[in-house]
Amino acid sequence: MSNDQPQNPGRVSHLPPGTPLGEAQLRPRDLEKARANFERFARGEPISVDVGEIERELGSLWQQASHDGGTGVVGRAALWNLVIPARGREALARTKALIDEIAPALPVRAILLCLDDAAGGADLSATIESHVVSQPGGGRIVYSEEISLFGPPGAEAHFGAMVRALQVPGVRTATLWMDASMPSTLLVRELLPVTRRLIVDTSSCTAPMHLQDLERLAARTQPRPVADLGWLRLGSFRLLFAGLFDPPVGGAPLRAATKLVVRHRAGGDVSALLIVAWLGQLLGWRPLRSSETPDGGLRFALERADGGSVEALMVPGPGACDASAILAIELQSGRDEYVVTRDAIDEAHVQLPIAPPRAVKLDGYSDAELCEAALGPRGRDSLFAQCLEYAGRLWALR
Amino acid sequence: VEKIAVPAALPNPLREGLVEERIPEPATMVIFGASGDLARRKLLPALYSLTRDRLLPARFAVLGFARHAQDDDSFREEMRRGCDEFARRRPVDAALWSAFAKNLFYQQGAYDDPASFQRLKARLEEIERALGLPGNRVFYLSTPPSAFAPVIRSLGQAELAPKPAPGKPFARVIIEKPFGVDLETARALNRQVHEILDERQIYRIDHYLGKETVQNLIVFRFANGIFEPLWNNRFVDHVQITGSETVGVEGRGGYFEQAGSMRDMVQNHLLQVLSLMAMEPPVAFEADGVRDEKLKVLKALRQIPESDFERQVVRGQYAAGSIAGRAVPGYRTEPGVNPASTTETFVALKLFIDSWRWAGVPFYLRSGKRLPKRVTEIAIHFKEAPHLLFGRRAHMVRPNVLSIRIQPDEGITLNFGSKLPGPALEIAPVSMEFRYGTSFGMEPPEAYERLLLDCLLGDGTLFTRGDEVEASWSWVSRIHQRWAAESAAGRTSLPAYAAGSWGPEEADRMLAADGRAWRLP
Repeated sequence: MSNDQPQNPGRVSHLPPGTPLGEAQLRPRDLEKARANFERFARGEPISVDVGEIERELGSLWQQASHDGGTGVVGRAALWNLVIPARGREALARTKALIDEIAPALPVRAILLCLDDAAGGADLSATIESHVVSQPGGGRIVYSEEISLFGPPGAEAHFGAMVRALQVPGVRTATLWMDASMPSTLLVRELLPVTRRLIVDTSSCTAPMHLQDLERLAARTQPRPVADLGWLRLGSFRLLFAGLFDPPVGGAPLRAATKLVVRHRAGGDVSALLIVAWLGQLLGWRPLRSSETPDGGLRFALERADGGSVEALMVPGPGACDASAILAIELQSGRDEYVVTRDAIDEAHVQLPIAPPRAVKLDGYSDAELCEAALGPRGRDSLFAQCLEYAGRLWALR
Repeated sequence: VEKIAVPAALPNPLREGLVEERIPEPATMVIFGASGDLARRKLLPALYSLTRDRLLPARFAVLGFARHAQDDDSFREEMRRGCDEFARRRPVDAALWSAFAKNLFYQQGAYDDPASFQRLKARLEEIERALGLPGNRVFYLSTPPSAFAPVIRSLGQAELAPKPAPGKPFARVIIEKPFGVDLETARALNRQVHEILDERQIYRIDHYLGKETVQNLIVFRFANGIFEPLWNNRFVDHVQITGSETVGVEGRGGYFEQAGSMRDMVQNHLLQVLSLMAMEPPVAFEADGVRDEKLKVLKALRQIPESDFERQVVRGQYAAGSIAGRAVPGYRTEPGVNPASTTETFVALKLFIDSWRWAGVPFYLRSGKRLPKRVTEIAIHFKEAPHLLFGRRAHMVRPNVLSIRIQPDEGITLNFGSKLPGPALEIAPVSMEFRYGTSFGMEPPEAYERLLLDCLLGDGTLFTRGDEVEASWSWVSRIHQRWAAESAAGRTSLPAYAAGSWGPEEADRMLAADGRAWRLP
């Protein structure tokens, strides 16, 4: 291992490694007081989850990490409270793996909210874990925390209060909403009021019509930003394509564009629609009408700011691709073509009239990297909201 | 050679929304002195790490230029070895390097030879044509200082550095330190540079300013409401700025003999740090706003009166001693050093800033080689509480110290007194510590990465302006003049200190005379 690489996060858990997150295995740190409180709630009495107990246990885990670390100070850090709802044990396991990846680069207090359909009774429980990341030489240790709350369907009505109690004070809260099977009431009623940044993933939208739901949601969160992992995934392609129009080419060909083709993997309509929306929004193209094409794609007729016409095509097709689902962006302006084409998952070539075609590396991002980006300045991209609105208008033409 | 027609390009509207990416326009960086250590250890590793972090544009080329004869391939191999050893992002990704290296080129030439610069121009145009580059150019002067003026003159003669114009490609020049050796030479160099270049094209680099904590100094002061009200002579007792090194002259005896610690560290690094620490709030966080305020601090440095010179200026030279358990030789026995050298390897200063904010607050600066620890920090010592309640335990109370660590382990520590647990009233100092690595879980980028990127983006905030350089030389040169006069009179006072100590006793006495002591960083 290179000296410059942080070591993998050490997960200090109250569960033995590899233990499935079944009800029985939650025993070691399930919180009896919380359980008793929930039983009271189930009998119709108000519940009061003893978050003080959770905080005390987290404190002792921190002290334990300091003693075990052997290198002096262990910093307890959280730049965000990160709330992630997940339905079922599989989704929870994926979420935990994501937190494992995020923790070395971005200390957060992760609060995972799991609705477990298989859980019997009206039980509520919690586990706590910590992530210890040592840096080269052992001199720097980051310690961040993870709290998982479990409940049966219906418990979502109480997750909001628990999140409010478990937030690190003075630290912003983000909600990563990736599991569309979670009840939307949890997001809208319980989580949005405490959320400073909502993170979604449009790549998981099964149809473009979900973009309209998302647009309504984004309008509701104003002025707080909505970050989209799908939009961030498109970043590499957008950057490469935008770079074609840096000097000496400049923006003139864009202003005179006549045809745009976005090739995408089947099922990647949402990503393709966002690309069309990105160009349409920035270039001032007015959506006029749309039609379906024989190959299952979409054709949009658009009007340029100078009154000229642009035809935009979304063309599904096969090809190696990452989750962004974009295979190529081709823009025709007069007789010139400006093209970025994916050749492999991490390779593309760019083509523009003033230089020979050139292969370039196409960056790929893991979900963890995208989450880190979404929690940083790139998660405040106001252009996304505009493109979302534009994509909604395009879709409404159908 | 066919000339590229460069029309004034319309702005690229697709750049909107990509601002946060901070990715510059396609460009070529020409490194003069490309066969030297800086290119291999710092510049190419920084450019590689920027590429790895996806911060350079897809169309970007590097053209090395030096007297040494080599071809593109051997230059690439040498730079690959440098990246393998020094890049922040290691191990080097083979596929990424392969793509990056394709755009590395080398051109042999002499710095004062017009024909060499014509060949350089032709090569640049050939590369730009092949890669579809727009003609944006950054020229990095990683050469001996004596070559600065000839290179810039040659750039001008070859029409390689046209003045900025809207819609035209940019030409920027990064100049390494030292920028002059005294006020006169700095002024002369500024004049020579300005004959060819507009000030907006000049990026005088001081890598200290690229360090994350130095930039954080501005954020710390002006983004937190609780500190700025304390940042003045009502609450601050004194300030200590330390820049210490464990190394000796490391084979650069010839250079250091001419420079000494005052030129090597104080005139640039420490005075830049001081000016950022002491400046007034700028009207905006942009290049000239920040540099205007730094300049005011440098101009407000009180000249040290003749009568107080010995009480406010101490210099020293290291003798043999021990560093980290290893015996090390004295300065005068280092290679390239005159056995009777009177060059200072340590300097300690007490200075004042004549401003409303800092009136009466002493700033103690020290810098030296072969000190026990490599550290650069600013320590702000606050005044004692006006009345101590704790009777005979009052001696346990220590004034609060806010220390800002610039290197290594970049971070901030605040010391304060706290009651020890137990029935008795015992007071002990404790510290609250913030470290970049701990709180953000990530290593800050190397200073050169930040500064190269800023230059490509046209952001001069973290570079030194010509008038700042002259203002700092103006203050420092007076000290050199006094030392020269002492030397001429045969009265040179240059106490020795053992390598591995914190400098000569005279430096301790300087603070002791004020009832203070150096902080152990």
